[in-house]
Amino acid sequence: MLFFSFETWQITLFSLAVGLASTLLILPFGIAFAWLFARKDWPLKSVVETLVLLPLVMPPVSTGLILLKIFGRRSPLGQWLYERGIEIVFNWKGVLIAMSVMSFPLLVRSVRTSFAEVNPRLEQIAATLGASPLRIFFVITIPLAYKGIVAGALLAFSRALGEFGATILLAGNIPGETQTLSLAIYSFVQLGKDPEAFTLLGITVALAFIFVWCSEWLLRSSKKA
Amino acid sequence: MKLCCRIPLANFNLDIEVSFDARVTAIFGPSGSGKTTLLDAIAGLRSITTGEIEISGSTLFSSARGINCPPRERGIGYVPQEAGLFPHLSVRKNILFGAGRSTGISQSKQIRMEHVLSVLEIGGLLDRPVTKLSGGEAQRVALARAILSQPRLLLLDEPLASLDISLKEKILPYLARVRDEFEIPMIYVTHSLTEVLTLADWVLMIRQGRLVTQGVPKEALRSTHAILQIPEGQAENVFTVAFVESDAEAGQTRVRLQAGHELFVPYLPEPENHTLQIRISADDILIATKRPEGISASNVLPGIVRTIDAVDGQVMVTVAAGDEFYARLTAAAVKRLNLVEETPVFLIMKTRSFRLL
Repeated sequence: MLFFSFETWQITLFSLAVGLASTLLILPFGIAFAWLFARKDWPLKSVVETLVLLPLVMPPVSTGLILLKIFGRRSPLGQWLYERGIEIVFNWKGVLIAMSVMSFPLLVRSVRTSFAEVNPRLEQIAATLGASPLRIFFVITIPLAYKGIVAGALLAFSRALGEFGATILLAGNIPGETQTLSLAIYSFVQLGKDPEAFTLLGITVALAFIFVWCSEWLLRSSKKA
Repeated sequence: MKLCCRIPLANFNLDIEVSFDARVTAIFGPSGSGKTTLLDAIAGLRSITTGEIEISGSTLFSSARGINCPPRERGIGYVPQEAGLFPHLSVRKNILFGAGRSTGISQSKQIRMEHVLSVLEIGGLLDRPVTKLSGGEAQRVALARAILSQPRLLLLDEPLASLDISLKEKILPYLARVRDEFEIPMIYVTHSLTEVLTLADWVLMIRQGRLVTQGVPKEALRSTHAILQIPEGQAENVFTVAFVESDAEAGQTRVRLQAGHELFVPYLPEPENHTLQIRISADDILIATKRPEGISASNVLPGIVRTIDAVDGQVMVTVAAGDEFYARLTAAAVKRLNLVEETPVFLIMKTRSFRLL
C-alpha cells in the first residue's frame, strides 16, 4: 500500500531527517571556516585546515573511535553532558554527531573553493562604497558564492546519508533507534534478508544519484556565470 | 591633496611624494609603473610601508601618527579598470549600493540620482542585469555608482583602457561632462596622452614607481623625459577652440584657436555648446621654411620654433603659432631644413587630419 514496508520507510525517513539536521548544523560553521580559509591569513592556518580535512581521509572507524572516546560517559565531556541529562552515545544524537563530523570536510572544501572564486576586487570596491564587512559578506560574498555553498551542502548531505563506520561505533546499530540506511543494509545482508537489502540499496543509489547530479549541475552553472 | 608613500613592489619600490590641488589630476605613465598601486593606496586597499595621505585637510593615513582610516570611511569613489560591477545585482542596485552612506554632506548639496543618470545617459539601463551591458555602458554605470556614494575624491583607473577606439571616443565626452557637472576632484590614471590632454589640468608622470615630472599637462609633457614615455602614435595636439561657422557642402568647419588663429576642421553641424576640442597627431603636421603654394592643405600657420628635443632619431619640435603645436619629425628632416630654435616656419595641416571630440 505504501509501496515500501513500514520498516523501510522508517529507516529511510530517519536517515533523511538526521542527515538533514546534521547538514543544517554544520552549515554555519562550514561557511565560517571556509571563509577563514579562503580570505584570511592567520597563524597555524594550515594545521587547522589539515585537522578539519582529516576525517575525509582517515578510516571512518578510527574517527568513530575518537568520537566514542570524546563523548563516552567515561570521558570528561561525556561525564559533563551526562550530568546535564544529555547522552550522545548509542542514540540518534550519536548518529547526528558522526554524520556531522564525517561530512564537515566536504562542505568546507566545496565552500572554500567557491569563496576563493569570488573576485576580491568586488569586495574591495564595496568597501570603498562604504559597506561594512558584514554587509560585504552577506550582500556580495555569499550571493556570489551561493551555488558553491548549496552544492557543498548537497554533497555533505549525501556523505551523511552514506555514513557507516563512525556511526556504528558512536551510535551502534539499533533498529528503530539508530539504524540508518547504510547500517540497515549491512544488517539485512548479514541476516540473509536479501530482498530487503536490495530495496534499501535501490533507495540509496537513487538518492545519491539525485544529490550528486544536482550538486554537479550547480557547480557547472556557477562556473559559467 | 598631499600624497607621500613608499610601497615595496615586486621589481621596484613605489616612492612618491607630491602635493597638488587640481580638478582633474592625471597620473600618466607606462603599464607596470605603479599607477594602480598608487590608487589602491589612496583608497586604502593596499598597505603603505611609510607615508602620509591627506585629502582636503583630513589625514587618511599617516605611518608617523599611526592613522589608517579604513576604506569604507575614506569617502573615496573608485572606478577600477574592469568597472567592477556586482554581477548578481541589477544596474539600479549597483548604482545605489553606496548611496546610503552617511557623509555629513547636507541634503541639498548631495548629488541626485536623476542628475547623474542624465549626465551619463544611463537612465534606460536601470533594470538591466549587469551582465547584459556593453563595455562602455558598464564603465558609465560604475562611474555613476562611485559618484552617487557622494565621494570627496574620485579615482579612475584607466576607465577607457579596455574599450576599443570608437568606444573610447564616445566615453571621453562623458568623463568631461562628469568633470564639469559635479564638483568632485578626480585622479585619473592613464597611459594615453590624448586622455591627459583632454581631461586633466594637472599631470603627474610616473615611471618605475617614481615621479618623473609634474605640472600643467602641456608644459609637463614638453620635457625630454616626457617624450620618451609617449607611446607610438599617441603624440597628439589637443586644442580647445571656438566654433565659427560650418559649411556642409565644402565639408569643412571653421574654428578659432584661443590665440585668435583660425583653422579648418572636418564638417560638423553647429554644436549647441560653442566650445569644442579638436586634436591632431604630431605626426600629421608638416613643417616648411617657406610659405607653400599650390597645396591641398587648407591650414597654413606661420610660427617660430621654440624647442627641439631629439630622442633616438625622432625629434619633437614645438612651434609657437599663437598656440603651441607639437610636430614630430625625423632627425634627417630637421637637418635638411636646418631647424634650430627661433627659426621662423610654417605649419601645414590638412583639414581632414583634425579629429573632433
